[in-house]
Amino acid sequence: MIKTLILKEIRLYFASPRFVAVFLICALLILLSIHLGIREYQAAVAQYDTATQLAAQDLHERNSWDGTETRVFRAPDPMQIFVNGVSNDIGRFSTISEWEQVRLRQSPNADDTIFAVFRYLDFSFIVQVVLSLLAFMFTYDAINGERENGTLKLIFAHSLPRSRFILAKLAGSWIGLIIPFIIPVLLGFLLLIAFNIPLTTNHWLRIGLLLSLSVLYYSFFIIAGITVSAFTRHSSESFLILLVVWVFLVLIIPRGAVLTAANLIPVPGAAEINGQIEGFSNEQWKAHEKILSEAWRRRNAQMSGMDATARKAYEDEHMWSWMEEDEASRRQVQTNISAFARRLKEDNRNRSEEQQHLAFGMSRFSPASAFRLAAMNLAGTGIEMKNRYELAMENYKDILNRFIDEKKSDDNEPGGISITFDSESGFSFRTADLKKTLDTSEMPQFEQPQIRLSALLPQTLIDFFILAVACLLTFSLSWLAFLRYDLR
Amino acid sequence: MMKVIIYKEIREIISSRKFVFAFLVSAILILLSFYVGARWYESNRDRYEAAKSENLRQMSGITDWIMVNHHIFLPPDPLAALVAGIDNDIGRDIQMYASGELKSTDSRFSDDPIFSIFHFLDIEFIFSIVLALFAILFGYNLINGEKENGTLRLVFAHALPRHQFILGKMTGVLLAVMIPLLIPFCLGCLVLILLGVPMDTEAWLRLIMIILNGMLYFIVLLLLAIFISTRTVRSAHAFLLTLIIWIFTSLIIPRVAVLAAGRMVTVPSTDELDSKKFRYRSQLWSEDMQKMNAFKAPETGNPQEMMDAFHKYMGELGRERNAKTELFNRQLNEERQNRQARQQIVAFSLARLAPSTSFSLAVRQLAGTSLTLKRDFLAAARLYQESYANFLSAKTDGLLPGAGMVFRMVTDDGEEPQPINAHEIPAFVFHRPTVWQALQEAAPDMAILIVFALLFFSSAYVSFLKYDVR
Repeated sequence: MIKTLILKEIRLYFASPRFVAVFLICALLILLSIHLGIREYQAAVAQYDTATQLAAQDLHERNSWDGTETRVFRAPDPMQIFVNGVSNDIGRFSTISEWEQVRLRQSPNADDTIFAVFRYLDFSFIVQVVLSLLAFMFTYDAINGERENGTLKLIFAHSLPRSRFILAKLAGSWIGLIIPFIIPVLLGFLLLIAFNIPLTTNHWLRIGLLLSLSVLYYSFFIIAGITVSAFTRHSSESFLILLVVWVFLVLIIPRGAVLTAANLIPVPGAAEINGQIEGFSNEQWKAHEKILSEAWRRRNAQMSGMDATARKAYEDEHMWSWMEEDEASRRQVQTNISAFARRLKEDNRNRSEEQQHLAFGMSRFSPASAFRLAAMNLAGTGIEMKNRYELAMENYKDILNRFIDEKKSDDNEPGGISITFDSESGFSFRTADLKKTLDTSEMPQFEQPQIRLSALLPQTLIDFFILAVACLLTFSLSWLAFLRYDLR
Repeated sequence: MMKVIIYKEIREIISSRKFVFAFLVSAILILLSFYVGARWYESNRDRYEAAKSENLRQMSGITDWIMVNHHIFLPPDPLAALVAGIDNDIGRDIQMYASGELKSTDSRFSDDPIFSIFHFLDIEFIFSIVLALFAILFGYNLINGEKENGTLRLVFAHALPRHQFILGKMTGVLLAVMIPLLIPFCLGCLVLILLGVPMDTEAWLRLIMIILNGMLYFIVLLLLAIFISTRTVRSAHAFLLTLIIWIFTSLIIPRVAVLAAGRMVTVPSTDELDSKKFRYRSQLWSEDMQKMNAFKAPETGNPQEMMDAFHKYMGELGRERNAKTELFNRQLNEERQNRQARQQIVAFSLARLAPSTSFSLAVRQLAGTSLTLKRDFLAAARLYQESYANFLSAKTDGLLPGAGMVFRMVTDDGEEPQPINAHEIPAFVFHRPTVWQALQEAAPDMAILIVFALLFFSSAYVSFLKYDVR
């Protein structure tokens, strides 16, 4: 009996203009979003390749390892095609040098502001905003619509248990709405293959999980639509309620939660943090200057009373150790500044994480929020992306600085500029060999931080669980509501 | 007779559960958006003040003006908190140099990506999503709903001209829905006053214009829904069709238009430009280094005099190099800006097929958070750069940090040098466009909205004159 009812529901769906409408909308939007995502990804890869090549070339054309700085870039990830997340909002690169702090700079949206005007259209946006609304649009009159048409009375003129009817209704509507969603998604996967997007097994697994998550999220809205329809007598009422529910679940709760958390746990801005680092750095360099002055005075005192020849001999004898002493002091200053900056940034990171936990904890009351967070987590384009890259770049900075130090010590010719005053030869200005270029073939390369599935799963499973519970809850509510539904 | 229809319509709407529900939800959200906006402004103001004081504090103790590392910041604006636009996407911090190119960094979204995930609950969002959906809700069954209930037939059993009926219905629904909506907006303004948000006359005028624009957009969608209601027999079909049109015009077309324009008109990346600029600068630097290597100082025996002569020579080279670099950079930037302008024209021309685009662009112009904000901030920074350079030049006897290398000879006479007073640095002031300028910029989009409203009104009117009332 239940099989017959489900088949009837599915037949009804497939023969109705609704199915055609859902299929056309889903096909158009999903394929469009994946196609646009692919083109954007390809453009981002081309931009990344050019930028890294130019950075390598700029470095190669330098004539000394002294004061070397380079740029390391975030590589685009194919998962951005599906979930763009914050990848257009955070910086694309960081300057790596002995003097500068690692900081992701120049976000794509800040560079090309036009793309920030209406934001991004990706698969996750289509599922989160459009499909959830479509699900409500096609289920708001699932039960009360039948009552309004009088078909419900007719059906229950036969000896049909209510539980079977509601089960068939839920299953039929679910299949009728899921199929027009799955087919375009599968076609979208073909697009990925046709455009030769480099996808590894890890990517395919994550895409598979993203698809399951989307199905679960879409299912919640299908079941919720039927539930509200089973609680109300008129379809106009259920539609109004569902519209308000949609506005709150998809648009208000996530935003409200983040803004509330921001008010409860304020986090200092980057300009303030950078100012503090700058202030500390100035103090350190001032202290260093004092140390140098004192050393100069001490060395002069040691040479007082010597004639010019003895003084020259003494200077030649001690010059290397003095230079080493000054260099050690300079290095200590660098280390202090770096340690201070890291500590300050870590404090700030901890505070941000506290704010995020509160914001996301509150926002997860909405399945839309749970879906978005899980989708970004799976794609690796959530807010942790900034920390992930900055930490990887910090590590690279240490490796690169060690390499540069080795190169500098191997280099017999000092780089940079030197000015000398001599009583015999007068004033002289010298630079490193300007025709020389650097051999960067042995230079360590920045390795993009990898995303391991095992690391993503714990957080993603929480959101899967939230969505599953939400589905079960609405399912039981629809069941209970229909068992008491007034069929007249 | 028309008056009776208008009164009847208003009475029916106001006494309906749909109205009470929609009004309550809208009122709560409108008030919430004003409250959130006021708090967001406060938070931005605190950050701005903290950044400014930290900037001054980090300079305390510096004893040489050559060493200053001065930053200027984009000041927060109350209206930017109510209509965010691109305010959070652009860099708010500019490191100031006495010469050379300036760049804005650290956008609010890059600083706090958490806010970029779900975005803001601002007035633009309330109008473009929440009130837009309510406009559809009040319009989709205005005509065909009466037909389904059988009341249309009854009404036309009397000698009632059709145009009076449709005009009466449209006027009734517009008055019944829009006038009550003004109440939460007025209360929202009160929230701003109570929370001490500094709004001057200009800001109030802009806010009024923003709300009026929102109302205009609301009318466009309401008339579109009524038009579709006159073209369909069943209200369920009208609802489905209107909602799909809304999804496409509000959520899809603007985004697709911008992404399509991005592919149609390519703009060179900033990395390419930076690399070209770096190469040119390096080449000039290398040439100047060779010249400096060949420098012969006057043999006076006095190191200070020799150094002064070298500084003078280096200064001349530096000025020449800077002039060349600036010209080269300007050419590259202009080329990029021209391409960006073309891209923008293509994107917005396509996107304006959707009324929501015109609404968004108009309110952002009025709030001062449109695409021009970044350009205006950088232009103001460049203007400030001149006064900053003059100030530093006076303080450093012509040695400008940022203009190249500067060598300082310090005589260690045991005396502590006096620290600089960073408060002497001229203050950066950023003026947003005046209300008149903003209105001029917003006028084309407002005109487009009026055209859409007239189009849907006349279409609904004509369509109803031929409507099958049976």
